[in-house]
Amino acid sequence: MKPECDHAVDYLYQYIDQELTWTRRLRIRWHLRRCPPCLNAFEFEDKLKQRIRECGRDEPPQELFDRLRALIEQEAADSGEV
Amino acid sequence: MADQANFERDAMQYASQLYSAALRMTRNPADAEDVVQETFLKAYRAYNTFKEGTNLKAWLYRILTNTYINRYRKQQRRPAEVELGELQDLYLFRRLGEQSGAERSTEESVLESMVDTDIKQALESLPDNFRMPVLLADVEGFSYKEIAEIMDVPIGTVMSRLHRGRKALQKKLWSLAEQRGLTGPSE
Repeated sequence: MKPECDHAVDYLYQYIDQELTWTRRLRIRWHLRRCPPCLNAFEFEDKLKQRIRECGRDEPPQELFDRLRALIEQEAADSGEV
Repeated sequence: MADQANFERDAMQYASQLYSAALRMTRNPADAEDVVQETFLKAYRAYNTFKEGTNLKAWLYRILTNTYINRYRKQQRRPAEVELGELQDLYLFRRLGEQSGAERSTEESVLESMVDTDIKQALESLPDNFRMPVLLADVEGFSYKEIAEIMDVPIGTVMSRLHRGRKALQKKLWSLAEQRGLTGPSE
């Protein structure tokens, strides 16, 4: 690994999370254009992030919404009585 | 300041996402529902302190996170801060690259063939203080600044926990992939 690769990997997560300043982002992008192994690694990490996003969601049971509404209505009624 | 009468209209759209996050935190559907219900009740009671036009989603997640921590950390007597050992950059990518042979599968095809339940399991295997930032960044798409506000820690802490949490997640994914025989022989 060249020093530029180390530098890029140091900023890997900030890059894929879009948390870098414009100039630093540009510098990393310039490196990725010239370094296929780093580009592969970055693309892999980005895909993994997407995969985690897809899997992290679960639909709640429909009754949860009903229960939440009932809870709020009950609470509103209780506080209204005071 | 927000009007309590609008709470249901404003907040209900986030119930489903909050439930997913609660499920990854508690690892149990019944507990997740309890946490979401308590979150909604607390949020409703405090809604007149919420500044309208600011980030409602982040505000709700902050209440959710605190609710979870208060309920379960005490109960389970878990150490508040767990440390992870030394972790390599690009762990999963490199381990996949070390496989040999003509039948070697590409890194990305392994990613595709990973089962959803394994990814959920890997997420849930992380200690709380690393799981939260990974969940908030990867699944919920919050920025570092938002995560810092939700977890009430400095941005630097968010970054280091997020990075370490992701590496630990990769280590777990690798061992799950090995168990399933998704990986080829290594050199």
